[in-house]
Amino acid sequence: MAKKKEAANNAAALGTQMLRQPAEVLYADELEALIAADRDDRPQGWRMSPRAVLTYIVGGKAGGKEITPKYIGHQRLVEIAISTLVTDRALLLIGEPGTAKSWLSEHLTAAITGDSAKVVQGTAGTTEEQIRYTWNYAMLIANGPSPEALIRSPIFRAMESGSIARFEEITRCASEVQDAMISLLSEKRLAIPELSIEVAAARGFSLIATANTRDRGVNDMSAALKRRFNIIVLPTPKELETEIDIVKRRVAELAASLELRAEVPTDEAIEKVVTIFRELRTGQTLDGKSKIKTPSGVLSTAEAISLLTNSMALAGHFGSGTIAADDIAAGLQGAIVKDEEKDHSVWQEYLKNVMKKRGAAWRDLYQACSDQAD
Amino acid sequence: MAVAVFGVRHLSPSGAWHLRQFLDERMPDVVLIEGMSGCEALIKDIVRRETQPPIAILAYTDELPVRTVVYPLATYSPEYQAMLWANEHHAEVRFIDLPADVFLALNEVAPALEVEGDGDQGGVPTTEEMEAAAQEAHPTDNDEDGTWDDSMALEFAEKRGPSLYERFAEQAGELDYDSYWERNFEHNLSPDSYRRAALELGNGLRDLDESSERWQAENLVREAFMRRRIQQVLDSGVSAEKVVAVVGAFHAPVLGDDWPAMTDEEFARLPRRASRLTLMPYSYFRLSAQSGYGAGNNAPAYFDLMWKSLEQGALDDLPHRYLTNVARRLRAAGTHRSTAEVIESVRLARTLSALKQGLAPTLRDLRDAAITLIGQGEVSRVAEALAHADVGTAIGHLPEGVSRTSIQEDFERELKRLRLEKYRSTVKQDLQLDLRENRTAKSADAAFLDLRRSAFLHRLKALRMEFARPQTAHQQQANWAEHWQLQWTPESEIQLVEAVLLGETIELATSYKFQDVLSKCTSVTEAASVVRAACECQLFASMEQARRRLQELSVETSDFAGIAQAAVELGAVVRYGDVRQFDASSLRPLIAELFVQGSLALLPAALCDAPTAQVRVAAMEQLNRINLEFSELVDEELWTAQLHRLADRDDRSPLMSGYACAILLERGLLTNEELSREVSRRLSPGISADLGAAWFEGLALRNHYALIGRQRLWECLADYVTSLDDEQFRPAIVFLRRAFGTFSPLEKRQIAENLGQYWGVSADLASELLNEELTEEEEQALEGLNDFDFDDL
Repeated sequence: MAKKKEAANNAAALGTQMLRQPAEVLYADELEALIAADRDDRPQGWRMSPRAVLTYIVGGKAGGKEITPKYIGHQRLVEIAISTLVTDRALLLIGEPGTAKSWLSEHLTAAITGDSAKVVQGTAGTTEEQIRYTWNYAMLIANGPSPEALIRSPIFRAMESGSIARFEEITRCASEVQDAMISLLSEKRLAIPELSIEVAAARGFSLIATANTRDRGVNDMSAALKRRFNIIVLPTPKELETEIDIVKRRVAELAASLELRAEVPTDEAIEKVVTIFRELRTGQTLDGKSKIKTPSGVLSTAEAISLLTNSMALAGHFGSGTIAADDIAAGLQGAIVKDEEKDHSVWQEYLKNVMKKRGAAWRDLYQACSDQAD
Repeated sequence: MAVAVFGVRHLSPSGAWHLRQFLDERMPDVVLIEGMSGCEALIKDIVRRETQPPIAILAYTDELPVRTVVYPLATYSPEYQAMLWANEHHAEVRFIDLPADVFLALNEVAPALEVEGDGDQGGVPTTEEMEAAAQEAHPTDNDEDGTWDDSMALEFAEKRGPSLYERFAEQAGELDYDSYWERNFEHNLSPDSYRRAALELGNGLRDLDESSERWQAENLVREAFMRRRIQQVLDSGVSAEKVVAVVGAFHAPVLGDDWPAMTDEEFARLPRRASRLTLMPYSYFRLSAQSGYGAGNNAPAYFDLMWKSLEQGALDDLPHRYLTNVARRLRAAGTHRSTAEVIESVRLARTLSALKQGLAPTLRDLRDAAITLIGQGEVSRVAEALAHADVGTAIGHLPEGVSRTSIQEDFERELKRLRLEKYRSTVKQDLQLDLRENRTAKSADAAFLDLRRSAFLHRLKALRMEFARPQTAHQQQANWAEHWQLQWTPESEIQLVEAVLLGETIELATSYKFQDVLSKCTSVTEAASVVRAACECQLFASMEQARRRLQELSVETSDFAGIAQAAVELGAVVRYGDVRQFDASSLRPLIAELFVQGSLALLPAALCDAPTAQVRVAAMEQLNRINLEFSELVDEELWTAQLHRLADRDDRSPLMSGYACAILLERGLLTNEELSREVSRRLSPGISADLGAAWFEGLALRNHYALIGRQRLWECLADYVTSLDDEQFRPAIVFLRRAFGTFSPLEKRQIAENLGQYWGVSADLASELLNEELTEEEEQALEGLNDFDFDDL
């Protein structure tokens, strides 16, 4: 017991130096409170009951402790995701860039297994070995195949320990590589012919994969593989207020962990940025009265967050310490104008036709944006 | 001693199941049901084996304006099952709610009230008491039906924003109140649980009743009446133990002896409207369309499935059945989904339910599981299959001879006779008709089947029944082809029943309708459209009436556009004559008559402002077409003489003058010299723009080639435009722009050549210059001109 505490403390100490701490470290106190207050049944291999996981993700109370919401706006989707993992099915989260796929997958694994680090990060160069196992070649050549020479992939380790592995950006891997997952997910066994053994997954093993729908250059998933996942499409936030709320929370969190030397942006500034993003994303003004062109970029919530933290950094290091219209304008220009020609005119049009007419409250931002855009 | 009361939520399968158990246990001699008193005669037809719910009892006033009240029953309605049970066990059924007469009268009193609900029911004035407060503010002034029902007041509260019930559901971790209800009430099969829970709920609801006073008052009246009816039963010598009353849970707590029953005097004071009753088939779609109506309502097909599962004692199978249905539907549509996916979706639904500590998955869980697995995360993929599994396309069926109105029977007969029965479905279907004689057919009847169908459908259209909707035929101007879209809905049945007040059969009702329209109509256009409609309906007596009315009206009128329109309508009828197998000769003299009147009205009509002139130009075109089509019939000389006079006049609408010139030119009645003279006269320098340019606009509306071929005309025009001063130039450009808008690019090029020749520049250069896109500056200048107020000129 004491040893465990110590380990946790070490992790916490290490954590403060990390650029970005994993969820289970960052929210260790919340997780502990939830586990302590948990009265419901726990599925095998889970650290807490499905209900407690739900509370951890969407927020609520555990004992006396307030649990901060991690994913806002679509509680039902979270319920479906958790239920999927209870039924030992693999979970696939699909969505446009910046819809909090990885964020949700990290927090789910953190809550369920206390370890969100068993990750395969999919790229075009990912090979089948990285999904299954590979060898320590020095030992392989010296001693031949042996369990000691085996290097287990994160998925392999999750199978052995009965925990949950994550597979980020699964569609970036070549289709052949993705298909290595098919038999693994249906049989829940991994054969190692070199050692003539077969590793069976321990109870509690599951997989959360994430995939992107928007980007070019992603590979299609085969129908056979798709069939092995419960698929949840994560939408962009439905309401303006939800999105503002998400942005506000994340910006405050990031500002704290990155130690940005600027004040957190005002609600008004956040609302303006989110409004601009939503309008350009949906191709119409919020009141639905006028149509506008959409730029080539995605303009996700995540981008709005990084835009605002960026502005904070700008303001902190080169500005007055409070975010001015200039700081935001620079970020907006960068986020929206990606494909020079077309996006530029889209942005210009938006400035002239929409923002300019918004009245005094928007005058500053409009001025700053127009100066930047010229 | 009070009678046993069983409170239900209407359209609740579990309620129906528990009710039957309860009845089996009590074995009452009399079953009292919360239904309109006086409808008992319909019960024998309702419980017949051939009758397939959903059906509805329809009460309607027997005078105009028609008010209706609908009382729908599904297989899984507790009330329907109670009737079946009583029939099986030879028990007597009595309805104990207010009589239909009173309900219909109460609906009329309603409009004086304030809106309480959020009004999202908008223009659909149904009168479910559930939403009484929200609804009654909307007068039931049109012929929409009202649906009479009161499902425990639950949804009423739901309608009002985040209500007590929603907060309640939220507390329980549910997304909506329907899920809460289903999870906690519909899946609980322990004996007597439903009745007791419903009673508690009813009590609770009464304490928390936040509804309008008006709604509360109506409920009090109804409850007093129910007690009166119960008392009557007891007075007739039936012992209280042998009576069971089935009512909405809201009313359940107050039907005992502790409250007074309605006295004879009070009963006599209730308002009434004489009414009649009938049964009508209903549809699941219609049931589901009434949002906030009651349990089992947003997904009738699902709850029907639940009822079937309950009957077979296999409620546990419901998720499999539902999800299999979804997958099968998807497969039938060509998307393959494996059984494994169905199994997994059942598992997911069960886990979702367990997360809420529910007994079984609710519809919401099933739907979400179906979307996640069968739809692979995307709603759109399964939306159609889900709608089918939730709502379905089922419609009820009533056996032949069941109490119905004469017009309903006539409708059935006609459908059968015209072999249109397969279109009696809630799925929209297309029907192409060829009105010509089918020469291969054996009997005369068969040969003109489509023609008779067309007449039938036109009659329905005239009665404003939504069953048949005309679509534009593909082959334009083909007067023998018709395209219809047929779709049966309960609304159309209601519209049909309402039409019974006009006549006993569809034919009689339609004739009466036409007569009614004619007696009220005041313009020739209206009368002419009746002529045409009557002809399409093959109602020649009506057509004759309409013709006479039209003639009367035409004598008095001098409305140029109206006369032209009427002549066109008649022309169409005469043209249809052959294909519709009737003799249109009686109409021909009328066309001639209208034509004369139209010709004579031309000159006076030409005294008008610019916007009116635009309309009248169209009427000139219509009359001219009638002239060409019926040249042997009409007085052509008079028409051309009038055109000549108009063309010569300077004091009439220049647009119409110009157009008269154009017609004459086209018909070869204007010589070259005459035209040249006219052009130079009209476009001589000094003539103001609204006269000169507007005249040219009229002239340019027709036969562009004839104009392009006349070099002199363009020279005149060019000189004229040059002569205009700045102030005159502005309005002129508006007229001219409009005039040239109708020319094709090729024609414009030819004009450019003409002008090029005149100015002595090369044709290409002129063309290039004239066809050049407008610069932004010019565009703006023109924009400004559009706002120009010509009345000041």
